[in-house]
Amino acid sequence: MSSLSCEDFFYLLGVIHVNVKEKINTLEKKLKAALASVENQAQLQEIKAEFLGKKAEISQFMKHMKDLPDEERPAFGQMVNEAKKRFSDLIEAQREAIKKAELDALLRKETVDVTLDAPDYTLGSTHILNQIIEEIEDLFIGMGYLIKEGPEIETDELNFEKLNLPKDHPARDMQDSLYIGNETLLRTHTSPVQVRTMLAYGGEKPVKIICPGKVYRRDDDDATHSHQFTQIEGLVVDKDTTMSDMKGTLLAVARHLFGPDREIRFRPDYFPFTEPSVEVDVTCANCDGKGCNICKQTGYIEILGAGMVNDKVLKMSGYDPKIYQGFAFGIGVERLAMLKYGIEDIRHFYTNDLRFNKQFKR
Amino acid sequence: MKVSLNWLSDYIDLSDITPEQLKHRFTIQSQEVEALYPLTTAKNLVVGHVVTLEAHPDADKLKICSVDVGRETLQIICGAPNVAADQRVVVALPGAVLPGGFKIENTKIRGVESSGMICSLKELGIDEKYHAETGIHVLPETAKVGEDAITVLGFDDIILDVDTKPDRPELLSMAGFAYDIAALFDLGINIDAADYQGDDIENPFKIKTETEACPSYYGAYMENITIKPSPLWLKARLIAAGIRPINNVVDITNYVMLETGQPLHAFDYDKLGSNEIVVRLAEAGERFITLDEKKRTLNKDDILITNGESPVALGGVMGGLDSEVTTDTKRILLESATFKPRNIRRTSQRLDLKSESSTRFEKGLNTEGTLNALKRACELLIKYAGAKVSKDIASFDHHKHEKRTIELSLSKLNGVLGSALDLAETKDILRRLRFPYTVDKEIFTDEAPARRPDLITYQDLIEEIGRIYDYNNLPDTLPKTVSRGGLTPYQLFKRQIRHALNGLGLNETITYSLIDKQHVHDLSRIKDIDPVTLANPLSEIHSTLIVTPLNGLIEVAAYNVNRRMDHVHVYELSKRYTVDKETELLGMLMKGPYHNHYWQENAPTNFFTIKGIIEALRERFMLPKFSYENVTLDNYHPHQTAVIKIDGTILGHVGKLHPTYAADHDLEDVFIAELDLEAFYAYAAKDNTYETVLRFPSVSRDIALVLDENITAGTILESIHEYSTTILKDAHVFDVYQGEHIETGKKSLAIRLRFEDKTGTLKTKTIDEMVKNILEALKKEHDAVLR
Repeated sequence: MSSLSCEDFFYLLGVIHVNVKEKINTLEKKLKAALASVENQAQLQEIKAEFLGKKAEISQFMKHMKDLPDEERPAFGQMVNEAKKRFSDLIEAQREAIKKAELDALLRKETVDVTLDAPDYTLGSTHILNQIIEEIEDLFIGMGYLIKEGPEIETDELNFEKLNLPKDHPARDMQDSLYIGNETLLRTHTSPVQVRTMLAYGGEKPVKIICPGKVYRRDDDDATHSHQFTQIEGLVVDKDTTMSDMKGTLLAVARHLFGPDREIRFRPDYFPFTEPSVEVDVTCANCDGKGCNICKQTGYIEILGAGMVNDKVLKMSGYDPKIYQGFAFGIGVERLAMLKYGIEDIRHFYTNDLRFNKQFKR
Repeated sequence: MKVSLNWLSDYIDLSDITPEQLKHRFTIQSQEVEALYPLTTAKNLVVGHVVTLEAHPDADKLKICSVDVGRETLQIICGAPNVAADQRVVVALPGAVLPGGFKIENTKIRGVESSGMICSLKELGIDEKYHAETGIHVLPETAKVGEDAITVLGFDDIILDVDTKPDRPELLSMAGFAYDIAALFDLGINIDAADYQGDDIENPFKIKTETEACPSYYGAYMENITIKPSPLWLKARLIAAGIRPINNVVDITNYVMLETGQPLHAFDYDKLGSNEIVVRLAEAGERFITLDEKKRTLNKDDILITNGESPVALGGVMGGLDSEVTTDTKRILLESATFKPRNIRRTSQRLDLKSESSTRFEKGLNTEGTLNALKRACELLIKYAGAKVSKDIASFDHHKHEKRTIELSLSKLNGVLGSALDLAETKDILRRLRFPYTVDKEIFTDEAPARRPDLITYQDLIEEIGRIYDYNNLPDTLPKTVSRGGLTPYQLFKRQIRHALNGLGLNETITYSLIDKQHVHDLSRIKDIDPVTLANPLSEIHSTLIVTPLNGLIEVAAYNVNRRMDHVHVYELSKRYTVDKETELLGMLMKGPYHNHYWQENAPTNFFTIKGIIEALRERFMLPKFSYENVTLDNYHPHQTAVIKIDGTILGHVGKLHPTYAADHDLEDVFIAELDLEAFYAYAAKDNTYETVLRFPSVSRDIALVLDENITAGTILESIHEYSTTILKDAHVFDVYQGEHIETGKKSLAIRLRFEDKTGTLKTKTIDEMVKNILEALKKEHDAVLR
């Protein structure tokens, strides 16, 4: 040391600086080149050891520190440390890149053909007849009606006699019945449920009910006849129930089922249990009342029968006709469904071809 | 009834009303018009005179006719065997279009020119049931050559076909229609009472009744009858009404019946065999041959017209063959009577014998019109059959002939209709209806006309006023009754069951309640039910009410599988019908993969698939645990069928269809279940319950047991629960193994136990002790050892 002149010393100092700086640059280039061809974490680990390990060249540079004057040491140290940090960042960046590539490769292996079919998790559906029943029930519930059900095996008395259809009545012709015994039969309409309800109410309180259910007639099955079918009958009895109330109610039904633009019309008809009695037509939804094949050019489609309850029926069910009056109506559910959806054969409802049933999902 | 507008025009002036208007108004305010159609659509037809006739040179059966049609003489080829010279015939001129779109043109037939066609009635569109003619129609000599043939025939008519309801018997007569249409359109009406001069001949008849079923009977005697065809206009009107013309006498009785609604019957006096008419009820088993040549066996409901000894007519229904009017008839007894509707209806129904007469009598007639109808017929028979009629009419009439009055207040009228009719409007409607009335303040006292026997109560009168007012003029209001609507909890439950099953992928079906008696117990669990069988079934296959919804579901599966739909997962809410009780049941059927996974692997559908559906419902409706017990049922798999119980109550059953039974229906691997809905509902929770959610996770322990293969998992789990405290949350079998390392006759069950303590964290020691207890108990009770 004593042999070095001052000039010598500064020369030496400059050489170290320059040398180390250059070496770092070279190393950095080498590192970048090495990283560029790295494919996995193991290789990366080797490179990390080579460039940043204890035996790495850069780690040797610090040994020169002692040869430097005190005031120079911080700058030198900083230079080397910064280089180490850069090297480390480069390696870590590469590590992330490799990780991502590895994950990408893994995910690629999981590629699915998104156009393939999903399994059938299809929901089932309520039978169309019950869908319509629910729809009509809900409409009437909203208007304050109760739903009443009753037995399908009925007595002649409740099915006929209390509805002003005594034995030998001409209208019994209209509904040839399936009998079980002399006095029991399969109900031909759900009207006996109305009678049962009135009897149960004891002639005292107002009645506002609808009665859905299965009914039976002695008909051979064909495209338009079925020995079993479905009815919804309604009954309102109170002191001031009018035929206009019936008209407003049935207009609500028609519009609920066939759309808000529908109109209805009443035509006189005959039922033993009501008087006056009417048949109710709704303007054809297909042609808007102009006349088409569906409505047989009339512009109207018959949807239900209705009327003011016959005094005899009220009386036989315990209601005083001097105080109470009311209206009743009956809807054929199959007929409604056939009209609404253009179903051509009533037997479809009972065949349960799933290609038929599954079309109705509402 | 088929209503001729020509005929109607005799009574009311229809000149300002189109047939379409008539149809519309009648439909809206009276009865449904089912059809409106012309009697014939044939046009451009004239009366022709066959001047000469020669044989066709090239065809044996054809004739060359020279026909004078007024303006000109046409050469027409005719093939009818009855064509002859000097006939008046119906000629379709070239350019005419006959019914069915058949166009008449100038043409050559076998080389000979033909300009037009000589027509038969059939070619004019008159159905063969209204005439017996086979060849061309020959007009009477009085027909004027060149005139419109359709007019001459009286076929220029339009028919209104009306469906007459039981409460409007007056609409079984032309007069009834005239009154109703006059009311609808506010028209004048012109119906004359019958008027004729009788002859000074004696009526030899004595008439009496032995039954109340015939309250009145009028009999006119006449002689000098000439039986011949009726005039064209009369024939045309009968054809328009759908009745076949026979001869003048029969036609006139039918004509008067159509006009007045009162059926009449003509007896050949010379075949009656006595001068006495006695009406009585038939003896049971008595026999009688009716006009239609059928031998009828009678009973006590049937009314017989007798000659004092033997029957001559089945009163109100049909005449007898022996006393029928024929071409030889010279003298007749003409009957106009009334009969009790009940008897006529029973007779007609029992004998399956409906006639124009029975149709009218069974609906109840105007009892005041009996004599007038008879007189009207006499009038026509004098005119068209040359009859000499005795002035004296033999009769009895036990009708009371009282006035029927109906009281109705304006406020009641408006109170029922919801209308706001005032006195003047109401009076005007009654005037149009021609109902005589008096009015005091606002109370009408209406005298129901005899022609309207259906009017009895104030409701009948409201109906009449309402329809003339037109119901469609009523306002649209809703009932003023305020009430709370809604489903009962059980009704809501049934909807929820449907929605839950739909969510589980099952489709609802509705099948017939009536099936073949032979199969009613095929799939039932309860065999000692007497099925309900119809007394009058339409067929054997719909003769008996079901006792389980499963028969229908099997049919549905077979139908669909047969059409290549292999995934059949269906349910039905139906009933078990017994005479005194109808029990609501849920039936379910599963066949084929539950969810089709297509290119991915399908889980097999087995017993546990359908059990899973049942358990899903149990869980959804929050029922306590079910127990499943093996059971043997006819037509079910002997080792894959169970009854479902709760607290010892049977809720239903579930199982696999026996492969043999399935094969009989072209099915295999079908799983079915039946649940008693009402019992199920009884155990369903009626509301939610809340428990605090624990902050700590549960702790689980797995145990593997080796035990006898015949011990069910259910038995083991039951024991586990029995020997645990409430800290055992649940226990599930997660593996069942038999085979290597397990002794023959044994099986291994791996069970996961899950523990939870509401009071705090579970101590390992507590769990260890409980598992130890459980294992000891299982060893002791079931000889189950830890593997």
